[in-house]
Amino acid sequence: MEKVDFLLEPLREFILQIAGFLPRLALALGVLIAGILLAKFARFAIIKGLRAINFNVLTERAGMEEFLSQGGIQTDTTGIFGLLIYWLVIMAALIIGFNSMGLTYITGLLGEVVRFVPKLVVAILILALGAYFARFVGNAVIAYCRKIAIQDADLLGKLSQYAIMTFVVLIALDQVNVGGDIVRQSFLIILAGIVFALALAFGLGGKDAAAELIDRWWPRRGKSDDE
Amino acid sequence: MGKPGKNSSDDELQQGSSPQDTLGEALWYKDAVIYQLHVKAFFDANDDGLGDFPGLIEKLDYVRNLGVNTIWLLPFYPSPMKDDGYDVADYRNVHPQYGTRNDLRTLVREAHRLGLRVIAELVVNHTSDQHPWFQAARRAPAGSSKRDFYVWSDNDQKYGGTRIIFTDTETSNWTWDPVAKAYFWHRFFSHQPDLNFDNPKVLKAIIRVMRFWLDIGVDGFRLDAIPYLCEREGTSNENLPETHSVIRQIRAQVDSHYKNRLLLAEANQWPEDVREYFGDGDECHMAYHFPLMPRIYMAIAQEDRHPVVEIMQQTPEIPENCQWAIFLRNHDELTLEMVTSKERDYMYRMYAADPRARINLGIRRRLAPLMENDRERIKLMNSLLLSMPGSPIIYYGDEIGMGDNIFLGDRNGVRTPMQWSPDRNAGFSRADPQRLYLPPIMDPVYGYEAVNVEAQTRDHSSLLNWMRRMLAVRKGSKAFGRGRLSFLNPGNRKILAYLREYNDETILCVANLGRSAQPVELDLAQYRGRVPLEMMGRTPFPPIGELPYLLTLPACGFFWFRLTADVEVPHWHEERLAPEELPVLVLFDGWTSFFRDRVVPWRIRMAEKLRSQFETETVPRYMATQRWYAAKGVPIKRAHLSDWLLWEQGSSSWLMALLQVETAQAKSSYFLPITLSWGDSDDEHVRALAFATLARVRQQSQVGILADAFADEAFCRALVEMIARGGSMQCAHGKLHFTPTSALKDISVEALASMPFGRPKFQGSNTVVTFGECLFLKGYRHLRAGVNPEFEVGRFLTEVAHFPNCVPAAGALEYIAADGTPTSLAMLQGHVANQGDGWAYTMDYLERYFENQLAVTVDASEEVHGAYLSLVHTLGTRTAELHKALATDTGDPSFDPEPVAAGDLVKWKQRVHDDALATLALLEQCQSRLTGAALANALELLEQRQLLFAKIEACGMPAVPCFKTRYHGDYHLGQVLVSSNDFIIIDFEGEPTRSLAERRVKHSSLRDVAGMLRSFDYARWSAVMRDTYDKSDREKLEPFARGWVCEVRDMFLKAYDETMRKGDKYWSFAEVQGLVKLFEMEKVLYEVRYEIGNRPGWVNVPLQGLLTLCEAKPDAGTVSAMH
Repeated sequence: MEKVDFLLEPLREFILQIAGFLPRLALALGVLIAGILLAKFARFAIIKGLRAINFNVLTERAGMEEFLSQGGIQTDTTGIFGLLIYWLVIMAALIIGFNSMGLTYITGLLGEVVRFVPKLVVAILILALGAYFARFVGNAVIAYCRKIAIQDADLLGKLSQYAIMTFVVLIALDQVNVGGDIVRQSFLIILAGIVFALALAFGLGGKDAAAELIDRWWPRRGKSDDE
Repeated sequence: MGKPGKNSSDDELQQGSSPQDTLGEALWYKDAVIYQLHVKAFFDANDDGLGDFPGLIEKLDYVRNLGVNTIWLLPFYPSPMKDDGYDVADYRNVHPQYGTRNDLRTLVREAHRLGLRVIAELVVNHTSDQHPWFQAARRAPAGSSKRDFYVWSDNDQKYGGTRIIFTDTETSNWTWDPVAKAYFWHRFFSHQPDLNFDNPKVLKAIIRVMRFWLDIGVDGFRLDAIPYLCEREGTSNENLPETHSVIRQIRAQVDSHYKNRLLLAEANQWPEDVREYFGDGDECHMAYHFPLMPRIYMAIAQEDRHPVVEIMQQTPEIPENCQWAIFLRNHDELTLEMVTSKERDYMYRMYAADPRARINLGIRRRLAPLMENDRERIKLMNSLLLSMPGSPIIYYGDEIGMGDNIFLGDRNGVRTPMQWSPDRNAGFSRADPQRLYLPPIMDPVYGYEAVNVEAQTRDHSSLLNWMRRMLAVRKGSKAFGRGRLSFLNPGNRKILAYLREYNDETILCVANLGRSAQPVELDLAQYRGRVPLEMMGRTPFPPIGELPYLLTLPACGFFWFRLTADVEVPHWHEERLAPEELPVLVLFDGWTSFFRDRVVPWRIRMAEKLRSQFETETVPRYMATQRWYAAKGVPIKRAHLSDWLLWEQGSSSWLMALLQVETAQAKSSYFLPITLSWGDSDDEHVRALAFATLARVRQQSQVGILADAFADEAFCRALVEMIARGGSMQCAHGKLHFTPTSALKDISVEALASMPFGRPKFQGSNTVVTFGECLFLKGYRHLRAGVNPEFEVGRFLTEVAHFPNCVPAAGALEYIAADGTPTSLAMLQGHVANQGDGWAYTMDYLERYFENQLAVTVDASEEVHGAYLSLVHTLGTRTAELHKALATDTGDPSFDPEPVAAGDLVKWKQRVHDDALATLALLEQCQSRLTGAALANALELLEQRQLLFAKIEACGMPAVPCFKTRYHGDYHLGQVLVSSNDFIIIDFEGEPTRSLAERRVKHSSLRDVAGMLRSFDYARWSAVMRDTYDKSDREKLEPFARGWVCEVRDMFLKAYDETMRKGDKYWSFAEVQGLVKLFEMEKVLYEVRYEIGNRPGWVNVPLQGLLTLCEAKPDAGTVSAMH
């Protein structure tokens, strides 16, 4: 009998373990279901809230909706926010669920993802505000240049808009830790390139003018001797 | 002659109950208009060639009908007639050729009965040398009291500083009397010795004479030659203090024994000297303003207002109870003593080129010849006379423009017989022509065959009838007699403009002294907002605004305006707010700024604030000034933007706004498309929209305006193009649907673009714009949900029935709400040239007709309404044709005629019965609010209710089959346009008080017939009740109005019947007579309810109509109908 008992001991252990695990599973499932409900509510609330404060108008004016629709995305930025929040809540629910089941590795993995979402939200926010700001500056430059009758007002406006936009995109990328050094370095390279190009352009284009200036400031002795 | 006023027996006596009114008032002379006449010259009753009192009594009606209220009789005393009666030989009798003292008594009594006062002449300064007093004096011993009745001297050098007045005939003021062996003093002719007022017995004797006549009933005296009563050595012997003392004694005597009597001083002096004759209100009541008269002539001759303005400014203030007497001409010469010698020369050159026309220091001519018989100038002169401060005196004959005869001696040229008719002796006398005291005027221009009362009475446009109208207008306002005078100083010196103000009444008189049309800009800033009401035609002019008031006057034209605060601004006038006053809305993002959910987050608050400002201030402020805003005077709490569409086309963008307008009582929907136009106020586009601007807007440095888009040509064109194209546009909630009809197919877009855009001046409850002579766009403002019968019926008549006498429907703009309910926003129609609607045409016609009836006292001919009746015949025909067109079988269930079931007839009758019950209940309830005849009629109706029900029950139902069809629904004279002697039927909207669904229900088209019949009745009342008529006028017009309405009704029904018979859905009028009567009852019951609710003053019009329909009362008089 003892032998049988000994043989059955693991089984009992197993059953006991399962019996111990089942409530935790049920709890995890419960948390997940509650999480999904909460996520749906959160998505609804965030979309309503953002629309109430006309966030959609902001992103539309910033040109993001147009950008998204050109990229084949059906929803608008507000929708994306809703989606992000939705998944954030679901992830949180999953973490709690897995945690309760003691699956710490999965919890850790999910934790990483969850920590990434707020960064993404912030990055999108930066993009939206930055793009609006870029457009605003661009329009202001155009209006001002037109007012003081500078030719190429549109070009200058676009130039300033895209310059700002470039910074904004870099900040946003930095926020989500995408690219890291590569982005930073490539930005430096591009910037250096532009500066160098400008220097060359001015240098070559204004060589004579520069020479004349230098000549005026530090007149060559020979010349003064001649006089 | 004709018999003016012969039909004026008792009824005319009640004219404003004037006898009591005028006779009872102490200051009556302030409102007097005096008619100066000579008994001798007026009318001869006993055919002896000389006018007499019985003749004058016979003509009193004429005088009264002229509109004057006082008669001034030139001297009628026994006299040797060396100075036309001014040489009195017996103060207490009547010249035997004029009649007896009893005749005079009769005259005074008759005149008083007619509301006329009588002023007699009292020559106090002198008598005839035939007077018993003089005869006694010359024989009495020197120094005796009898001798001292006159002024005697042993030499002719006494009083050397005295001027001679009659320079043409007299060389000295002294004449030797061989009987008395002394010189006697005379200021006038040598046969007129002056009485000596230093002798107290003279004054006593004169006062006894005055009391003699006052006891007979004479209302006052003109005191002749009053400045010359007393004499003192070393003075000019004019205006002496002693003279004033005599006058004061006379006045005291009059005042202590009599009430409301008048002393009128004849003192040919400068105004400051004449002022003395008023004393402190204790000398004469009235005095002549001599210098004004020649200056009016001078002003006209020089075409410059200066002479009149100058003399009136030099005229001193007179005591409160005194009055000036003013005149243009009288029995004497036009005296030029009161002008400088230079001016006199000028006047002689202008008015008396023929030296024969001159006498003494004046011109012996009548008004018409002085004006070279130019009617306009005569009218201008009279308008000045009647509007200058003072009581005007009209010299007999001048009211018909009589001429003169300068070949008669002395001033007899202006004293010829009154010209009554073209008969022998001008109708003045039936004596042999050679027996007349003077020959009547016989030349071809002024002779009695050309100028006489009889002809002018008949001629509506004659000078006589014009004078009557002028005097009637003058009588309507006390400001003319009593008002303060102040001159305006417009830049154009040919314009004489002045204000007469009395209590709160202000009258503006503007006269063009020039011979050509003149413009004038008047500074009337202190009367800003008042509406000038032209007094002759009672026409309101545009209100006085910020700018100088611009008027244009024809040659010798004049205007009298009452500056009213309570008269409605002319309906076609557009109130234009000055742009500076408009609120400024600060935008930040164009149209988007108004929509909170279309702006970036940090601008939400601004957008909300802007929207609230827009809905609670800007729009309500604009709407309140618009004619189309239905709830006039009810402040708008908020105009919610219930649905909208931002419509952009090219560079223009419009907000198609549907507004939910909220007032304290109700909510209603309005359509207000708005255009946003950038540019400052100089910009052409912005300027064009100025009158329809809601607000100014600013966005950063950019400025512009928000304006009603119906004023924006681009918008209207875009709208019409869109209608022509058809289709729909999505709004925030519902959608806009554009529908063209076949009528629009022929018009190409290019043709449309080339049509000139127009905005008719008259804008009613809808907004209307035109495109050339082709299209007519009607924008509805006050919206009602449902299918609009106007477009539905219009389209049916245009596309299906092809009825030519309606305005073709070309297309429509509808709003389809989210739930699918349609609402009409605009309708496009063909444009029909017209001469106004039938109502205005009828009113004008009746006004002309009535004025003719009032002016012409002879019986009118039978066929008076010929032309109008033929127009009514056409109206009847067109009405029938419309009904036939609407009864066309087409298979469209909305239009196909349906047979009237027996149940329908019962239902209709029941409905009228119910209406009657409701009306009677309402009458009972509102009895306390009714007065006069309305109350009497209401009580009678309530008493006779069984009769009313019986009459409704008795309306016979047709035995033949009848049909129910669509019909006009609100058919009256205002719904037909007169167009080259034909009618265009408009406005198929149906009765405005019913819901759109109710208006589309089929019914008997005879309801339209009943509506038109009621409209005729209303036209009749409205025409008679015009403010210009007084009670006696209305009494006189009543039978004419009744006759008119009967003829018109008969003709309309006859024509309707004739045309309807030609169809297959109508048998004869006899069959449907009962139905017409039933519907007429229905309509009149509705009118009673409507008037009680809206215009209680008019309720008696339908009440009277109802009683007539019930045959409870014969068609009563117009006067009793209103009051």
